[in-house]
Parts: sequence; structure tokens; C-alpha cells
Amino acid sequence: MVQEEGSAIVPEITCQEIVQWASAYLDEHVSDKQKRRIVLHLAICAGCETYIQQIATVRDAVQLLPKAEEQPSELHRLRQAFVARTHRSSSGS
Amino acid sequence: MNIDIVTESRSHRMVADNGEGVLLDRLRQGDEGTFDELVTRHHSALIRMALAYVADREVAKEVVQDTWMAVIDGLSRFEGRSSLRTWIFGIMIHKAKDRGVREKRHVNFSSFESVDDDNDEAVDPSRFHQSGEWAGHWAFPPQPWDDQTPEKLLSSQQAVTAMNRAIEALPQTLKNVLILRDVEGVEAKEACDILRITETNLYVRLHRARERVRQAVESYLEGRTPTV
Repeated sequence: MVQEEGSAIVPEITCQEIVQWASAYLDEHVSDKQKRRIVLHLAICAGCETYIQQIATVRDAVQLLPKAEEQPSELHRLRQAFVARTHRSSSGS
Repeated sequence: MNIDIVTESRSHRMVADNGEGVLLDRLRQGDEGTFDELVTRHHSALIRMALAYVADREVAKEVVQDTWMAVIDGLSRFEGRSSLRTWIFGIMIHKAKDRGVREKRHVNFSSFESVDDDNDEAVDPSRFHQSGEWAGHWAFPPQPWDDQTPEKLLSSQQAVTAMNRAIEALPQTLKNVLILRDVEGVEAKEACDILRITETNLYVRLHRARERVRQAVESYLEGRTPTV
């Protein structure tokens, strides 16, 4: 298993592997070694570069999708329960 | 300090020093404004997340209402070993799963919490060369989306609909991950704590979810009807 320093060749990584790593890579959840392998691959593979860009676009678009904001219909009841509970706790019963 | 680390979270982080301690103190003192703030901050996200577990919006609302009641009851026992959000979302998921199982609203075996389908490929293997020198490399690479930016994509109602439909169609184990991480922007570590899964598992699921949404966008851009 001993390899001479400097003589190691970066192992080939397939497009199928790149695809599996795409989200972890985009979110910077890969090791430095893995990141180097991916960057090297992307430098020479237009298909994977396109794929990674598309996943990034999707990730960012999903975050920007319009979201419905709502309040609980029974906020008043919740507030009453909250006040009753905290008063009970502070009175030690 | 000998404390029980099992009940709240696998995370040992103390979050009291990032401002949440102050929030918690105010809540325990019965500050209604702080309670309103807490509800406002998390309610909509809890509903969206509940919809990953129960099919019906009204049921999701009830689950979240029950969650708030449980939060009120449990505040005095909450020790701050996870973030307040992790704790609240954990309660909601527990309640939503319980409700989903009881009602069997959308019994769908692919939707059940399982890692069995994590071995499936995110991208159709037929898009790659199967053998020869180029095995594992693209046979049918994705076509560039030209200058599509997220903003441009969202300016099209059809694209928004295609993405929403794709998210809606995701099985539970992919949907909850995508909602937490990408819709709500929860950091990976906290998402893992909430869902009680490993980061490896999180990224396998997250990527499969993103890939399905990508396919929906691809279909939309190619003018085809999304297959999801």
C-alpha cells in the first residue's frame, strides 16, 4: 500500500460518481481530497459541469420558491395556554 | 457534568450562548410577546414540514397546533442541549408520524421511512455508458440550460408549478430532507439532528430529491410534460 510521494496519479473518477457527489460537493460537505478529484474532473467534463450547475440552479430556485406564511388559527388559545402554563410553573404547582 | 444525552438530541451543542438562552428565559417567564415571536418564526415552516408526513393540510395544521401545545407543556423541562428549533421540529415530526400512521392517509410503501431505496441511483443509469473504456461516463449528458438563473426560472409560473409538483410528488424520506435543507435553509448538521439521520444519509436523500426537481425543470425547459 506504500506509494512514493509525488508519484501518485489522481485516480480517474467517473461521471456517475460525480453525479452522486454533486449535492455534497455544492454544499461543501466533501473532503479536500474528494473536492480536488471533483474539480479536476469538472475541468475536463462539460457534461458534469452542466449537471452540477443545474443542481445548483435547482437548489437555489427551491429556496426562492414562493412560500405561504400563516399564523395558527387558534393563536389566542395557544397564548392563553402559554400564559396559564408558565404561571403554573412559576407558582411551583 | 453527568447529564442524559439521549432524550433531546444527539448533538451536545449548548445553544444558550447564541441568544437562545435569553429567548428561553423570556419564554419561561411567560413573556407573551416572545411566545408570539416564536410561533411566528416557526409556524409556517412547521406546516410545510408536517405536509411531508401527512397528506391533508387540515391534518397538518392540527399536528402543528398539537405541537405548540406540547412545546408549551415541555418548556420548563427543555434543557437547551439542542436548539429550540430542533426540539420543536422533533416534537412535530413525532406527532405527524403518529398521526400519519394512525390515519393511514397516504399509505404508500415508497413513502415509509426506510433506507432501502437509498441504494437506487439518483440519475437514470442508462444515461451513462454501461461498458467499455467510457463505462460510467455520460452517454447522454444533460443539455445546458443556457442562461437560466434561479430568478429567471421563478419568473415562469409553469416552472414554479413544475418544481412544486415535483416536490409534492417526492416520497416522505426525500421530501422532509429537501424541505428542511433547501426550502427552509436549515444547516446540514441541524437537519441531521432533527431527522435523526447521518450526514451521509442526508446527502444521499437530498441529492435524489434535488435530482427529481432537476428532472422536472429539464422536462419543462424541453417543453415536455413532467413525468413526476
